[in-house]
Amino acid sequence: MPSPSIVSTIRSEWIKFRSVRSTPIGYVVTAVLTIGLGILITVAIRSHWHTMDPLARIAFDPVATSLAGVLFAQFAIGVIGILYFSNEYATGSIRPTLAATPRRSRVVVAKVVVLTGATLVVAEIVAIVTFLIGQRIYAGVVPTASLGTPAVLRSVLLGGLYLTLLALLGLGLGLLIRHQSAAISVYTTLLLILPIIVIFLPSSWQTTISRYEPSSLGRAMMSVAPPDQMFGAWTAALVLTLYVVGVLGAATMLLEKRDA
Amino acid sequence: MITVEHVSKSYGDTVALRDLSFEVSAGVITGFLGPNGSGKSTTMRIIMGLDEPQRGRATIDGHSYRDLSSPLHAVGALLDAKAIHPGRTARNHLRALATSNDISQRRVEDVLEFVGLAGVADRRAGEFSLGMSQRLGIASCLLGDPGVLLFDEPINGLDPEGIRWIREVFRTLASEGRTILVSSHLMSEMALTADHVIVIGKGSFITQGTVDELTTTRANAVLVRSAENERLAGALRAEDATVTPQPGGALLVEGLDAGAIGRVALRDSVALVELTPQRASLEDVFMELTAGATEYASTQRGIDA
Repeated sequence: MPSPSIVSTIRSEWIKFRSVRSTPIGYVVTAVLTIGLGILITVAIRSHWHTMDPLARIAFDPVATSLAGVLFAQFAIGVIGILYFSNEYATGSIRPTLAATPRRSRVVVAKVVVLTGATLVVAEIVAIVTFLIGQRIYAGVVPTASLGTPAVLRSVLLGGLYLTLLALLGLGLGLLIRHQSAAISVYTTLLLILPIIVIFLPSSWQTTISRYEPSSLGRAMMSVAPPDQMFGAWTAALVLTLYVVGVLGAATMLLEKRDA
Repeated sequence: MITVEHVSKSYGDTVALRDLSFEVSAGVITGFLGPNGSGKSTTMRIIMGLDEPQRGRATIDGHSYRDLSSPLHAVGALLDAKAIHPGRTARNHLRALATSNDISQRRVEDVLEFVGLAGVADRRAGEFSLGMSQRLGIASCLLGDPGVLLFDEPINGLDPEGIRWIREVFRTLASEGRTILVSSHLMSEMALTADHVIVIGKGSFITQGTVDELTTTRANAVLVRSAENERLAGALRAEDATVTPQPGGALLVEGLDAGAIGRVALRDSVALVELTPQRASLEDVFMELTAGATEYASTQRGIDA
């Protein structure tokens, strides 16, 4: 019997991914949060533009502000990734899955390919749509940006990539922790609570540490010109990718070793 | 053929299996018996390469499960019928499994038809009764037309009609020369389903044999009727047998087999009316064998003792 190729595993995981309701629901929530909050934020900025501090107006980034909804949607997108693996443990279907594909790292690779592909498409569309709506709202009152500018295009596309990397971070946490609620707690802690804890550290530590926080990396990725205390956009993308590779790598090693 | 060799497995401080060895041969239905908590499911997970034993190994036709390149073509297993995402339809569940092992969509439809779920294949698995889930589990086992099949407590939750159906399925699969291991804690069920029985208790091997062998070798009582019960009883007691008078004028003799009782009767010139070796039920054998090997035995004394 010829051995099935990795493509068969990917196709199998794709069937599993699209055949549960949590997937479309997760993407719809992501889109609604990103676009909806993007509209709210840009409308608010437009209406307060003339009363804004002149310095703030000079430093104003029409791209990052229009994409601010991403920083809320990151919770929905992470849950898609978390559920994709932890659901298998919650329902017990991990056993049939690993019985069908005993080379366990293949299952991880297949899920990564499916999740990356689907999320990248959805997240890039959502980022571009949000950006365009935001610029339309700004038009005539607030300075606007155009996708024709390389730095602007980069920021918008990295916004989509940021969401995709967070979905993958969720996937890794879901596999590492196995329990849905615990994995969601850890994910939320990393994105939301950690930055709050950092605020209580001495200020010299703060500037060093805070640039490594996932949300700071996201803001850096979506800024046309990231502030000095943050990483550059591409460096931030690289650092976040390393986090994802680290978590997924550790989770895959444990998957190979642990009892299913 | 399934081979389990000297397998030991602990989860933390809990010992699940101790040096367990046995073989399961092809063409017959092998019952895997033990009280709840005796390690049946653990053994099956180890055979499936899902759990790793601390010592020993389990192989399928000489290969470790995790080395199988296209496992669904070699082994079909139903470990837990409810281990399915409740929101996924039966058809999508089977399609995902089939695709991972290059099994055609045609085969998915065939197995759905075979287990009688073709009409409800687009319903979510969460809406299925336990009986329907068991059928779906059997369908997933058969996807790759494997030579080895494992079923963990497949009878649980089935209605009488389902039980009869599953027994027929096992029969058919065994007659096609497949290796079939069916676990159960219900003796009476195995007496009807299995040809060969492996008994474990507290993670250790206890015995194995055909259902006939187990029930015959364990039978050690003989029912005797004679013209002179009292004289015969005295003679048998003199031979160290235990004699218990039964209602209706019979004697239950333990400690001597039918041949020895016949010789005593001949020697003392007692005419025998009946001499019947008592065949233990598999249930009795099992209770006897696993006494002391039950994880959660109920005590003889009442709760007020």
